[in-house]
Amino acid sequence: MSNFLFGRYLPGKSWVHQMSPQSKLMLSFYFVIVIFFANNVWTYASLSVLILIVVVMSGVSIGYFLKGIRPLIWLIIFTVLLQILFSSGGHVYWHFGPFSVSDTSLINGGYIFVRFLLIIMISTVLTLTTTPLAIADGVQTVLKPLKKVHFPVDTLALMLSIALRFVPTLMDEMETILNAQRSRGVDFGSGSLKHRIQAAVPLLVPLFTGAINHAENLSTAMEARGFTDSEHRSKYRVYRWQRKDTISWVAFLLVGVLVLFIRNN
Amino acid sequence: MPVKKNTLRLNMLAMFIAIILLQTSIPLIGYIPIGPLEITIIPMTVVVATVLLGTVDGAIIGGVWGFTTFVRAFVWPTSPLAAIVFVNPIISVIPRIMIGVVAGMTYTYLKKHLKSQTASISVAAVFGSLTNTILVLGLIYLFYKAKAPQLYQINIKELLPYLLGVVGTNGVPEAIFSGIVTPLIAIPVKKIFDRTSR
Repeated sequence: MSNFLFGRYLPGKSWVHQMSPQSKLMLSFYFVIVIFFANNVWTYASLSVLILIVVVMSGVSIGYFLKGIRPLIWLIIFTVLLQILFSSGGHVYWHFGPFSVSDTSLINGGYIFVRFLLIIMISTVLTLTTTPLAIADGVQTVLKPLKKVHFPVDTLALMLSIALRFVPTLMDEMETILNAQRSRGVDFGSGSLKHRIQAAVPLLVPLFTGAINHAENLSTAMEARGFTDSEHRSKYRVYRWQRKDTISWVAFLLVGVLVLFIRNN
Repeated sequence: MPVKKNTLRLNMLAMFIAIILLQTSIPLIGYIPIGPLEITIIPMTVVVATVLLGTVDGAIIGGVWGFTTFVRAFVWPTSPLAAIVFVNPIISVIPRIMIGVVAGMTYTYLKKHLKSQTASISVAAVFGSLTNTILVLGLIYLFYKAKAPQLYQINIKELLPYLLGVVGTNGVPEAIFSGIVTPLIAIPVKKIFDRTSR
């Protein structure tokens, strides 16, 4: 199943696997911001080198990354084409109606392509080396400063972990419901608008009802174990800041400074 | 009793977030393709959440959907349109929050004035769905009319009619669809919900 968050985690013991989720999350975020400062060949080249080092450090074979990019390739090509055909300026090679191809638009198209690849790579590294639950923990740590303004960070994180925990469960239930309806002769793939509406209702009602039952059972179970609020909750896994995190941060920050220096102003 | 209520609310919200995440990643239950168009049924989930849990929680669920759209616009865009437009958090998040707010307010108002629950849910769903379409359209127009987007230096003025066409042709069938299907789903689910949360 082509998925951007679930079922992609690959267990491992690499450098990137051992980093704490909060710094992986922050570094991905930081990397995406730095990408938007890149505007010439050298900046994109240095970012590409950095991401290649990260991929090697993650110990995941490059095939997984290519597999992640494949379903998106048409979309990327289409966006790059839009970019090439609709941007203006520079020496025009070809032009027809609203479309035109110039040297600047070709160069920009190439940059957009690399930019897409870089962003997809960094997010793939994150989801391949971090479990969804660890990501939820990371979110909690990253958002901690918001507690000062009474934003319910802990409640949000708990909600997110429960949601992530139940996505596969609901997915299984969905599968069961689909098969049950198919065995009754419902055809989901085709038909008129009216037909499709009729097909959607018997899928969604059991899905929602199932989710409500889960919520009810889970709250009973949580209270039976003495759950009162999400703030004073202890954790099974505690992620600590390690030397690996510090070294990675230093490397990423150095590349960020480099990009700021060699970009065209 | 307040503790019990809180835990239940937390879990209900978590389940709806899970459903939203599921719908954004599985095409069959998130989007219904009709000819060349794709109708999103996620606004309907937001409206169901609003009817069951109230306006505030509906807005939270809408916000979660918006945030997912925002993140996906970078890492896993669903269409070239998403990659260009939804990287702006104001366009991706705010309209989705407003689905919950508008549908919630409509529903609470109509509940008092209309006898038929079906009618009030239906109208709330149509309003919620239209809010999404109109706000996304309006914000795209506001943001990209004057200046080129930051991410892609595309001359957006020439693209604008195309963008508006795509969203407009999707928006109307989406609203009709929401108006018909939401009550069909919300009413039986509400019965079960009322039984559990009593």
